[in-house]
Amino acid sequence: MRKTVWLILGIGAAALNGSAQALPEGPGKATYQRACGACHSANMVLGRGMSRDQWGTVVTDMIAKGAKIKDADLPVIVDYLAKSFPPGAAPASTPGRRRAGGGFGLTMGPNDRQVVDPAAEARGRTVYIAECLTCHGSKARGSRDDAPESSRGPDLVRSLVVLHDRYGNTIGPFLAKGHPMQSGKPSASLTEPQIKDLSHFLHAMVDETLRSGPYRQPINVLTGDAKAGQEFFEGAGRCGSCHSPTGDLAHIAGKYDPVSLQQKLVFPRTFSLGRGGRAASSQPVMVTVTPPTGAAVTGTLAHLDDFNVALRDSTGAYRSWKRTAELKVEKKDPYAAHVELLDVYSDKNIHDLLAYLETMK
Amino acid sequence: MSHWGRAAGAGVLMTAGLAAQILNPATLLQPTPDTWPMYNGDYSGRRFSKLEKVNAANIDSLSLAWVFRIGAGESGGAIKATPVLLDGVLYFTIPDHVWAIDARDGREVWNYTWESKGGIHIGNRGVAVYGNWLYFETPDCNLVSLNLKDGKERWHAPICDLDQFYFGSIAPLVIKNHIITGVSGDDLDIPGYIESHDPETGALQWRWYTHPDPGDAEAKTWPSVDAMMHGGGMTWGPSTYDPELNLLYFGTGNPQPVIAGKARQGDNLYTESIVALNPDTGKLAWYFQPSPHDTHDWDAIEVPMLIDGDVDGKPRKLLAQASRNGYFFVLDRTNGKNIVSTKFANANWAKGLDAKGQPIPDPAKMPQPDGALVSPNQSGAANWPPPSFSPQTGLFYINASDAWSIYYIYDDNEKPEGWAGNDRGGHSQSSLEAIDYRTGKIVWSHKWEGAGSRAGVLSTAGNLVFTGDAANNFVALEATGGEPLWHANLGSSVTNGPMTYELDGTQYVVVGAGDTLWGFAMVRKQ
Repeated sequence: MRKTVWLILGIGAAALNGSAQALPEGPGKATYQRACGACHSANMVLGRGMSRDQWGTVVTDMIAKGAKIKDADLPVIVDYLAKSFPPGAAPASTPGRRRAGGGFGLTMGPNDRQVVDPAAEARGRTVYIAECLTCHGSKARGSRDDAPESSRGPDLVRSLVVLHDRYGNTIGPFLAKGHPMQSGKPSASLTEPQIKDLSHFLHAMVDETLRSGPYRQPINVLTGDAKAGQEFFEGAGRCGSCHSPTGDLAHIAGKYDPVSLQQKLVFPRTFSLGRGGRAASSQPVMVTVTPPTGAAVTGTLAHLDDFNVALRDSTGAYRSWKRTAELKVEKKDPYAAHVELLDVYSDKNIHDLLAYLETMK
Repeated sequence: MSHWGRAAGAGVLMTAGLAAQILNPATLLQPTPDTWPMYNGDYSGRRFSKLEKVNAANIDSLSLAWVFRIGAGESGGAIKATPVLLDGVLYFTIPDHVWAIDARDGREVWNYTWESKGGIHIGNRGVAVYGNWLYFETPDCNLVSLNLKDGKERWHAPICDLDQFYFGSIAPLVIKNHIITGVSGDDLDIPGYIESHDPETGALQWRWYTHPDPGDAEAKTWPSVDAMMHGGGMTWGPSTYDPELNLLYFGTGNPQPVIAGKARQGDNLYTESIVALNPDTGKLAWYFQPSPHDTHDWDAIEVPMLIDGDVDGKPRKLLAQASRNGYFFVLDRTNGKNIVSTKFANANWAKGLDAKGQPIPDPAKMPQPDGALVSPNQSGAANWPPPSFSPQTGLFYINASDAWSIYYIYDDNEKPEGWAGNDRGGHSQSSLEAIDYRTGKIVWSHKWEGAGSRAGVLSTAGNLVFTGDAANNFVALEATGGEPLWHANLGSSVTNGPMTYELDGTQYVVVGAGDTLWGFAMVRKQ
């Protein structure tokens, strides 16, 4: 079927095939494709470069948003992405994406987007600080509202002159017409290399603003009160009925960074990667199936919908049944208490609990 | 901010176009069951079919008639479009691609590929048809017109600026001699707008920005003209239309910057709003805002569905939306006045309702540097997948999610831009809900096993509701009580809104799942 379609498609097939070939080989590729490929094109990941922790965040986010990824497949997919698309990776086939350096799942903007050269960006920053900073601000987002009239300048990240620019080709002509500069020199005196460097710096400021930019991490989640957290742990949270600070939670703060630990605490099912990227898989949901005749079977849940149920029993064997009124199915989610808490605890409780868990180094 | 564009010559060309017309726009007012002439099937957005050959009594005979794989394979591209059906041919899209296939057996008639210059390829909702021509949007900001017969390009016209990170994704809508287009994109702080184009030339007829003009009373919902002019509000949802009132209805997306709201204090009109415009002029008739000062990316672009029904014994022209923020709204669509505001899913972000029936956001549940647990999550209680309304049962059917995630501010600079934060992680439980439009009460709710049902919904006079569950099944449920009657595992979750039609006495039900379009029917040879 697929081959036939390629032939009929002609040019279309070539285009589709082109991106298909670009996905690198490696262990876990098939798992990645099965789990993610139905909705996401290869373009979604090509040209990205992130650490294993960052890829883990992206994939667990997708699970939370409905992606159907089995617990066992999560580390396989994250490993494939982390190995294929490490920080700084950028295949030559997608030049416009190089700067993305840690995108958040979407390939945005024009294909011919300027590829920021870090060395030129650094030189351009020097030009910017010398001539532009006073009016356009440290991040090129314009002057403060309370700036004196004489040093007010517009937001350059939102400037069409900048957004339409490629390597100085609109910024250059704009400055050649004459524009005030901090040094008092005429803007037309800027050299072509200086304008190109400035262009790299300004595009870097635009890229920073995008979802693929550096503002992709919580700043500080350790704001809670450990003592109040302990009280909640032992009291209203009823955490002690399953967990112990000296048992399963001993050294938990050493296993996860604070943000991951906060996520793990609130959403244990979807967040299952540890500090340094070790796989720390979630506990499986258990299910007991009782047929109208015969013995009940308990095992780890493999699949459940309105029509069928499947499990792996204690010997590891896969078994499935058609669901009927006579077939009893009992599901047991080890994280059910965490789900119940979602409507119970306050943000303060969460921050306090995290502060308490952080004491368990 | 509305203004007239280049509309000269449209009248003359219109007349020429009518001569060899396959689809006269007037026929859009009364679609026949052998057509599905626009994204939602008709102008009301109800996605209800009067067909009943396939019904709750015989659904067990429904079986596979045909399969069409777009063959995109690992390059992906899920079918989010609802096919448009005319003269026995289905037309549908993924980003940059259009297919025409035989509605009786799924065989390809033609395909078209647009050579892309970029843009986000997250999805394309499909085509519009007018006369002999087909229209669709591309991720790189073009409205393209093809010849229905052979898929040859007739012209393309710009609808947005790729350099500002806009992109195209929606199915255009035809109203009289207007092709209504919307725009997507929320990476930089840019204004949203909706446009009308000439069907013969692509020329702009009017553009309406999703923000007030400086000096309007509504402009006071922004701290500055600069914030307002860069305040977002994309128009990436489907529009509906009331021919009697001559009003076009659509929802607008999130304000910008998306997550960090500190530089845009106020309600931020007309982002996150349900809007009524005159489609001939682009002039605003009324607005209602489901999410004042949104900080959670809860675009109010879900179908603004038109229901003609009784409220307190009086016939009313209504508009209903199950909004991404977890609230179900019913408005009087003649004037935008609120009739019902209720939660249809878990929502912890509002302190209550204001006098206009709009939720009041709780500052404590806006994103925080150390995280705020918010329900629903960023994907929302509902999202773009279309709901359905059955006039037979009086029920509004929607796949809803009870969902939680933690929202963070990432950029605490004094002037955050773009997103400047995001949500992470989460827990989600989805159900198909049947809501009484008169009260917002949930009459029945069918809980799916697990998270992630984002399927669109179709209801029919056969007392059936078709949708997807959270386990790759295409499911038919009994419409009055919600009992699942029939299913087929499609190997991928349902990714569009199912549609139905009758050709040569056979009723077909067509649904997209991942890269495959499936046609079901009772196919016994007569």
